[in-house]
Amino acid sequence: MASEILDNTAEDPGRRSPLVLGGHTFATLTDTVCEVVERPTPRAWWVAFALSLALTGVFFAMLGYLVVTGIGVWGLNIPTAWAFDITNFVFWVGIGHAGTLISAILFLFRQKWRTAINRFAEGMTIFAVVCALVFPTIHTGRPWFDYWLMPIPNQMKMWPQFRSPLLWDVFAVSTYFTVSLLFWYVGMIPDLATLRDRAKTRLRKVLYGIFSLGWRGSGRQWHHYERVYLLLAALATPLVLSVHSVVSFDFAVSQLPGWHTTIFPPYFVAGAIFGGFAMVLTLLVPIRAWLGLHHIVTGRHLENMAKIVLATGMMVGYAYAMEFFIAWYSGNPYERFVFINRALGPYAWAYWTMIGCNVLAPQLFWFERARRNPLALWVVAMFVNVGMWFERFVIIVTSLTRDFLPSSWDYFRPTWVDLLTLAGSFGLFMTLLLLFIRFLPSFAMAEIKSVMPEAGLEHGDHRGHGQYWGEIPHQHDHQFEGGTS
Amino acid sequence: MAHDYWRSLEERRGLVTPQLDPELARYIEDELPPATRRSFLKLMGASLGLAGLTSCRWPRELIVPFTKRPEGRTPGVPQQFATLMEHGGAALGLLVTSFDGRPVKVEGNPLHPSSLGGTHVWAQASILELYDPDRSRQLLHRGAVARREELLAFAEPHFAALRARRGAGLAVVAGESSSPTLVALRQRFETELPEAWWVADEPVSWRGQELASAAALGAPARWLLHLDRVRSLVVLDADILYAHPNAVRHVRDFAATRRGGDAQGRLWVAEAALSITGAAADHRLPVRPSRVGLVGLHLAREVAAQGVALPAELAALLAGELPPLEPAAQAFVRAAARDLVAHRGAGLVVAGPGHAAATHAALALNAALGNLGATLTLLPAPAARERSLGDLASALEAGQVETLLVLGANPVHTAPAALRIGERIGRVAASIHLGLRVDETARACTWHVPQAHFLESWGDGRGWDGTYGVQQPLIEPLHGGRSALELLSLLLDAAPASGHDLVRASFVRLHAPKDPETAWRLALRDGLVASSPAAMTPAWRSDPASLAAARERALEAAGDLEVVLVPDSRVWDGRFANNAWLQELPDPLSKLTWDNAVLLAPATAAALGVRHGDVVKLSLAGEVEAPVMVMPGQAPGTAVLPLGGGRTAAGQVGDGVGFNPAALLPAAGPPPLGGLRVSPTGRRHLLACTQDHHAIDRVGFRGRELRTPEIVREQNVGEVHESGHESAHADDAPIFRSPELTGRNQWAMAIDLSACIGCGVCAAACQAENNVAVVGKAQVARSREMAWIRIDRYFMGDEGNPRVSFAPVACQHCEKAPCEQVCPVAATIHNDEGLNQMVYNRCVGTRYCSNNCPFKVRRFNFFNYAKKVSHLRRMAFNPEVTVRSRGVMEKCTYCIQRIERAKIAAHNERRPIADGEIVPACAQACPAGAIVFGDLADPESRVARLHREGRAYVMLPELDIVQRTRYLARLRNPSPDVEEA
Repeated sequence: MASEILDNTAEDPGRRSPLVLGGHTFATLTDTVCEVVERPTPRAWWVAFALSLALTGVFFAMLGYLVVTGIGVWGLNIPTAWAFDITNFVFWVGIGHAGTLISAILFLFRQKWRTAINRFAEGMTIFAVVCALVFPTIHTGRPWFDYWLMPIPNQMKMWPQFRSPLLWDVFAVSTYFTVSLLFWYVGMIPDLATLRDRAKTRLRKVLYGIFSLGWRGSGRQWHHYERVYLLLAALATPLVLSVHSVVSFDFAVSQLPGWHTTIFPPYFVAGAIFGGFAMVLTLLVPIRAWLGLHHIVTGRHLENMAKIVLATGMMVGYAYAMEFFIAWYSGNPYERFVFINRALGPYAWAYWTMIGCNVLAPQLFWFERARRNPLALWVVAMFVNVGMWFERFVIIVTSLTRDFLPSSWDYFRPTWVDLLTLAGSFGLFMTLLLLFIRFLPSFAMAEIKSVMPEAGLEHGDHRGHGQYWGEIPHQHDHQFEGGTS
Repeated sequence: MAHDYWRSLEERRGLVTPQLDPELARYIEDELPPATRRSFLKLMGASLGLAGLTSCRWPRELIVPFTKRPEGRTPGVPQQFATLMEHGGAALGLLVTSFDGRPVKVEGNPLHPSSLGGTHVWAQASILELYDPDRSRQLLHRGAVARREELLAFAEPHFAALRARRGAGLAVVAGESSSPTLVALRQRFETELPEAWWVADEPVSWRGQELASAAALGAPARWLLHLDRVRSLVVLDADILYAHPNAVRHVRDFAATRRGGDAQGRLWVAEAALSITGAAADHRLPVRPSRVGLVGLHLAREVAAQGVALPAELAALLAGELPPLEPAAQAFVRAAARDLVAHRGAGLVVAGPGHAAATHAALALNAALGNLGATLTLLPAPAARERSLGDLASALEAGQVETLLVLGANPVHTAPAALRIGERIGRVAASIHLGLRVDETARACTWHVPQAHFLESWGDGRGWDGTYGVQQPLIEPLHGGRSALELLSLLLDAAPASGHDLVRASFVRLHAPKDPETAWRLALRDGLVASSPAAMTPAWRSDPASLAAARERALEAAGDLEVVLVPDSRVWDGRFANNAWLQELPDPLSKLTWDNAVLLAPATAAALGVRHGDVVKLSLAGEVEAPVMVMPGQAPGTAVLPLGGGRTAAGQVGDGVGFNPAALLPAAGPPPLGGLRVSPTGRRHLLACTQDHHAIDRVGFRGRELRTPEIVREQNVGEVHESGHESAHADDAPIFRSPELTGRNQWAMAIDLSACIGCGVCAAACQAENNVAVVGKAQVARSREMAWIRIDRYFMGDEGNPRVSFAPVACQHCEKAPCEQVCPVAATIHNDEGLNQMVYNRCVGTRYCSNNCPFKVRRFNFFNYAKKVSHLRRMAFNPEVTVRSRGVMEKCTYCIQRIERAKIAAHNERRPIADGEIVPACAQACPAGAIVFGDLADPESRVARLHREGRAYVMLPELDIVQRTRYLARLRNPSPDVEEA
């Protein structure tokens, strides 16, 4: 075993570093991952869960207050008819993108290192999209009529208005949520079966039994499973690009200066991946330390993510610059004004926060030492989280507060309900995430095993750098000797 | 057993107490006093009476069942009745729309020369005043509810005793009134009770102008201006287009001279506080009030210097040395003088009521230039026989007043605090207050009698030009009030007459018609009897002593920081303070709502070291704390104090709004008032403005500067501009198919910015017509006001003396409406007649439409604003317009209810809709006639012709959204003699 290798970040093209360190066998890997679920609940978990649940309580209290009283409890006004609501929506949808990118696109591109983080990132996607879905649902003036946005046949032949990007949003986000959920769940079935097989209590046996759908690990099942997984990956891949493109249409299709921009779809997708990876880093760095999973989520994983953050951060920075250039180049005075106003107007503080967090902070990742230092990673990732929230705030609020007629210009100030709702959405996210870590296999055991040397799928220099499901079918039967013990 | 009848065994055995539905129980409690057989019969009789006499058109007090439908009346179809409203001592003819006996909307009477169809904001808001839940409902004696019999038991012997004493010890306080019936009663009052006092309390009055004229003419004279004939108008500190009893007519006439061509006039204004008139000026000179007289004298001298002979009697005005004016003022005066001389017989000089010397100069100039009789008619005005509040205060102090009768006035609020009227009234043995509310004065009086609203009572009045009109009630008094006429009759007659009888008697006396009944009915139908009193022939019987005194006063300098008292543009002197429509209507110039503030010019504020929103302590004779609002255009060295704030007993709406400048004023002492001291308190006050909610930064300032000329276009007379409504992308194929505009009529609007003076009547009318919610100060501060039409105000140029532009902005009804494309539920859609429609019950409230609206004219119901509306207030709702609930978007509909009503009528009569038949509420109320609505499909309609005019443009043409509302660029007519700064 390559147990002597403690650092797999140094890449020798002649001899590839293993993806799993620490001399794990299939059995020890299974034990390590399952132990998180099976050991008695640690006190730290209870503390974190209680805090998150309290914040979730605040979230639902705010939503209740909103629904009972009216949208006026937020700081919205005319002209600023959207502010925190849609900012939070776009922010959370964006977070989700990293998960789908890791699980689908990196899968299709045979990026084997993804196996260590894909389950966790997918879970994060689901929870982020849950948080995201809350906002468009409750941001309407009469949320009890939201179902009118669905194309439900009715005797009045009253259909939604298909030209509206908001309607496209409904389709895009709901499709995205459905596919992501399926992808996540299907990927989890073999691991759920492992948990079922190891379960000691009746309740666990029944519940894991139900959700593992009678998984036996037979060759036929593996065959079907791998096909489905591949297909879902192919299905989810365009969604990574489409969802945030459609979300960006909410702005790009309107004619508001600052929104009406063709650069938005790629810019939003890059921003979403940027923000999503930052959120994965934000969560994984402490969890990895907490659960002691350094051998599975290795420095190499973190470094790869840092590189993606750097790359997408540069794309976002390019988009910021290009927006300014186009505003100037277009000669449209309203467009020019919006961008000058962003940088120098009353919301300059928000704009420069965004630039600082999204463009400047990731530049640290040019340095290898920063990429390999978990603390530095975490700090930069936090900056990016803040920056990405402000990016959406800047786009939405600065454009709305000063549009065409100066007589309608105004300034937006959030109310306490706005702020608590934003904070509360993090509570919901963290609650779901903590439940996930505690009760579900947060790391894809079966997939990780396929990239371990024991899998025997690669030989020579590529030993321990595994092959993938779908690449050479029917060659995995022997890998489950330890897997289902 | 308590119950004789029972419904169940449980009930009979007392297990269950029979209970009313709680809502019904509450209703019964509210509506029905503890019933005796007598009161039950009374109530039933009253209800039948109300049912039969809903419009109270018919004076015969008969109870007629509706077995036969009265002619011309269909349930649910509104009827209009002519009546009138007195404001500032002159009557405005009105037509009031009544739905099933319930007045809901006030419009101007097109026949009445004071109105010609237009109104002022107070007439529009009077509906809300009628249904104000805070109106007093009961007779009060020392604060306790009293019965009418108790009042009569007190009043009849008391008044009889007064009559026997020839009125000694009696004082009546009343506002100015043009009512011939009241004049007749007052004449009787003066002859029968010669010892009694009649005290005038009209805080904002043009009586000063009439009395000042007496010094030159020997008798007081009312100035009747014919602004439509004026080509050169010089106004010396007189807001003739807004704060004038005849302002509605003035605006109509003035607008006729603003549309270019031969009729185009030029307006010169020298004034202290930036007013609506000043904003309409071609040239404006900010000048301290104490210098206005001097400007008038210099103007007369300049005109005389150009070889015009002033009347010999007034030539003394120019004698002696005059202190020089500043160079800018001198240039203004010289150019204005040249303009006046160039337009002999078509010029006019007007001075405000506080400026005697300027009035004398104006009279001299008008006479010398041949304007008298051409653009100005002088009408006889009553001689000054009334006493002032100052006299009353001394008489009260000396204990000479034993009985005080207050007819609708509120001197405790409006009189200078130094007079201590409230405290002194408290010492009068018998004081009777007649008023709509238990206000500050009512609280000081021993008796309070609820007053009938003008829409509830009989009366009459004369327009500013003397036209006689009848004020007929639209509804039985809601709270059983009395009118001032009836109370005076109670004072004067042993057998008091009803309001109707008094008015009808004076009608017959005045007009002596051959067939009184027919003539009376015709007068009721038309609301007026065409009659104009003979003009005065100006005979110069000048009083040199008064002239010299006025001249001396004009040359006196006032101390620095002069006080300029102006009526509030919404609540006037405070009498409308409890009217939420008016409180929320933005001030035309400052755009301030729910407040009044000390207005300081930027330079004055900087010199005093105070900022916008600072609370300062003002001290003169008294002290008061007030917020500062920095407003360009005020004369340097002045503090403008709008009246009307600081009410303490106005009602739920008006209490505690703003500050009361009366607290500062000395007991006696005519303006000018100098030496106001301002000291910061260190506190801040939130001023809720509907525009420029916040101080603007440099970036925003520059951005605004760049685009404003494109949005609110202006041009000088004679300049020709290409019409600016062609789309920038005319050749591009549209991405979205335009809606199919196949309707027979294609509705459109044209707004002439040349005629618009920015007064805001359109917004008030829209509020009344369309059930627009009032949201309160906090919501306005959050920029959530609901007005469907707003008047954008822009300042241009010099901070000290800016040019002002207005543009009323409502939904533009774009053919390619951006809002429609983004609504996910198709709640806002186009109809085939080109209307952008809002379907409230389909709206889920995503607010995307508002985000995509370039004009931000859509209004969102952030809360359920209709929830707290009281039952009484609900009667003011227009039943043809949905009251919007929470969470839906709303906006201007071009008054679709009026369009549909006209369409139905035309359809039933098998005829096309005539041009001008449909008039939206804003266009109807606009005194200037600046808003024109009609059918584009008819190329000869007025709106189609205006759309084709060279001045026509659309806002933001580059968006290619094809608005149906077009604007006509504002024309300015600068004098070639004045170099533009």
